Amino acid sequence: MLQQNIKYEESRDPDFARWATEQTGGENIRRCIQCGTCSATCPVSSYMDHTPRQLIHLAREGFKKEVLSSFTLWLCASCYSCRVDCPKDIHVTDFMYALKRRAMAERVYPKRFPIPVLAQEFSRMVQWFGRVNETIVAAVMFLRTDWFKLLGQTGLGLKLMRTGRLSVFPESIRGRSELQRMLKAAEASKEKEVASR
Amino acid sequence: MADNTGNGQKTNGLPRIGFYICHCGSNIAGIIDVVAVAKFAETLPGVVVSREYKYMCSDPGQELIAQDIKEHKLERIVVASCSPNLHEETFRKAAQKGGLNPFYFQMVNIREHASWVHENKAAATLKAKDLCRAAIYRVRLHKALEKRRVPVNPDVLVVGGGIAGIHAALTLANAGKKVTLVEREATIGGHMAMFDKTFPTLDCAACILTPKMSAVKSHPNITLWTYSEVEKVDGYVGSYEVTVKRKPRYIKEDLCVGCMECIEACVFKEAKVPDAFNQGLSKRRPIYIDFPQATPKVVVIDPATCINVKTGKCKKTCVEACDRDAIDFTQKEEKVQLKVGTIVLATGFKPFDPKKSPHYGYGKYPGVFTALEIERLVNASGPTSGEVLTRDGRHPKAVGIIHCVGSRDEKTNKWCSRVCCMYSLKLAHLIKEHSGAEVYNFYIDMRAPGKAYEEFYEKLLSEGVHFIRGRVAEVTDWAMTKEEEGKLVLRVEDTLAGFVRRVPVDMVVLATGLVPQSDAGDVRRVFNIGCGKEGFFQERHPKLAPVNTFTDGVFIAGACQAPKDIPDTVAQAGAAAAEALALVDAGFVELEPNTSYVLEEECCGCKNCIPLCPYTAISFDETKKKADINEVLCKGCGVCAAACPSGSIVQNLFEDAEIYSEIEGVLAR
Repeated sequence: MLQQNIKYEESRDPDFARWATEQTGGENIRRCIQCGTCSATCPVSSYMDHTPRQLIHLAREGFKKEVLSSFTLWLCASCYSCRVDCPKDIHVTDFMYALKRRAMAERVYPKRFPIPVLAQEFSRMVQWFGRVNETIVAAVMFLRTDWFKLLGQTGLGLKLMRTGRLSVFPESIRGRSELQRMLKAAEASKEKEVASR
Repeated sequence: MADNTGNGQKTNGLPRIGFYICHCGSNIAGIIDVVAVAKFAETLPGVVVSREYKYMCSDPGQELIAQDIKEHKLERIVVASCSPNLHEETFRKAAQKGGLNPFYFQMVNIREHASWVHENKAAATLKAKDLCRAAIYRVRLHKALEKRRVPVNPDVLVVGGGIAGIHAALTLANAGKKVTLVEREATIGGHMAMFDKTFPTLDCAACILTPKMSAVKSHPNITLWTYSEVEKVDGYVGSYEVTVKRKPRYIKEDLCVGCMECIEACVFKEAKVPDAFNQGLSKRRPIYIDFPQATPKVVVIDPATCINVKTGKCKKTCVEACDRDAIDFTQKEEKVQLKVGTIVLATGFKPFDPKKSPHYGYGKYPGVFTALEIERLVNASGPTSGEVLTRDGRHPKAVGIIHCVGSRDEKTNKWCSRVCCMYSLKLAHLIKEHSGAEVYNFYIDMRAPGKAYEEFYEKLLSEGVHFIRGRVAEVTDWAMTKEEEGKLVLRVEDTLAGFVRRVPVDMVVLATGLVPQSDAGDVRRVFNIGCGKEGFFQERHPKLAPVNTFTDGVFIAGACQAPKDIPDTVAQAGAAAAEALALVDAGFVELEPNTSYVLEEECCGCKNCIPLCPYTAISFDETKKKADINEVLCKGCGVCAAACPSGSIVQNLFEDAEIYSEIEGVLAR
């Protein structure tokens, strides 16, 4: 199908551009000279819909939808090569995390793409139990993305269970309520920090 | 080093010739069998010494020639090596050191003409032998010649009163030379006086320029002629005769103190004439002064709009208002003669006319401005006192700056104008600072090659100015969405993002390129210098003689040579002043003796040669009815000697006999 590829002013969100520069890792994105070193050094950029360089340009120009719905955020393997090589000292990997959190909060990440789902389930479980149970996380991830794949993985899962590598029963830490208080406090202080900027 | 010297052969009354062939490392010896050539040369009649050596141009190489001259009583020297452009002078000096007239020397270029251009070693060696034989045949007929010296008038003319002319004039005047600075406009200062701030330091242009302008005015060694133009230049290096046209400004310059009472008193109660200094963004009266720091601070009457100049029927309220009787309507155009030894041309540039790129809507949409107009708008003494306003008085919320207007474009000008990226960054900063508007830069490539320029670009990036890489296709007021209504829309591919965008703005700034002055062609003919195909004045060598021209004693500086920024312009002006000083302080110029002369008894007075001479060195002596060649102007091109139907023009070093024996030598195999 032919698709119209032109952007009008209405597809821009200047507030998003401002927000981006206020994030950890986003402070320097305005200084980006679009040299493309980040994309060239990135081991997974060949799979990305927007290269890291493009993503930074789109973010500072305020193209919120394009940035947050990009696969790029979720493909980032956090290897930090881009950050090491960047001539302008832009913390690209940290910026990717900021974008991931925002995409998660706005629920605009690519649906049925395993990486964001896994990340979400992982953090949900940690918040709830203080521990992660791989069996449950993996099972939920498959169910939410491609449950058919779960069947293919059962053999491996059973083998791992037999050798004691996987457990079906979720473990939990003591003092779960304290953990939740800690997480809430961390969240609140972050909000306060952003507001004060 | 193989010696093939003095085998005692007789020279049969021919001059005794020394022959030297250079290896030039492997440049020559890698292809040409130099030993074979040296052995071959030895067999030629008259050759008493024949040597090959690794580097003839080295000190021992030169010493070799000087010693051989004494030892072997050599009377002629031939060196086969590189281009005469590089080392002819070196070897002439070596010959002179040995006690020989330096023109008893001939150079053979077997590097550029043989070893560098051939791959077949045997054939290249054969060719080298032929060329060397030709030189040996010719050098026998060489005559002793003397270089002529002509004195240099120490006074200097500087044409153009922009920053280049100002700097050159001040440098020369500070060195104690008498300088005449001729400026076409009513004030010096040029384009720099119109700028608000300068990149990348953001210091105010007027603050750094006006002290230099007043220094020019008050300098005892500088004669400042504004409102004047050079009309004619005669003569040659060291003694130029210049005719300057002094236009009437209808004001006695020595009486006017610039109180501007007359301007207030003008019968035009309202200013109605577009003010050229403010790029037409404000109005002035027929009697005016360009800007408060104009130098000289003298008003001027515009003959095209002043009622009294046009019709003679005016109440002349201005004359009444002037308590110093400085207004003089009887002034006429004057022609003044001037004698100088050297000339510095600093006639500057003209901004590109954006109407030639109609897709950007200049002149069609009132929201479209040129960069120079914005310079005036953001200037505190400009038409809006520094407020960024559209022509209908609105404060723009978004401003788009389009780079490369009239640059890097086959349809207008091919060249990069070099300063637009940087001044666009500066204007982006100033516009944002003055108006708080969102500023978009639309660029093809960002060119920031200068000290602290890249850092300035980074500063602008961090200030949050938008940088969109893409050349704007068109500026239109045709709205496609609601938010585009009432705006100017720029359609551009954001090549960094990978899609086409439509960006609505309230004000468009066109970063117009730099082009030659409209009359650069006439000016260059007056001063007898060349220009490149784009019309900028041609330097003698792009790297090694950047301020010299092909006319000795005429130097160029600033944007008349090519687009350049203020630091480069000032540096070049200093260089041009230094070159002029070198001539003046030497006191004389030495002229190559390869000039032509007329055998008077044989000249038939046909005048064929006169229009052919590219240096206008030939005149016609009406009393004798013979052509006469000015040896000082003659550059030895040989056109006249070749064209003379009676063979009565002879060129030193290129006499017929010399050329024929050279040809004979080439063909003797």
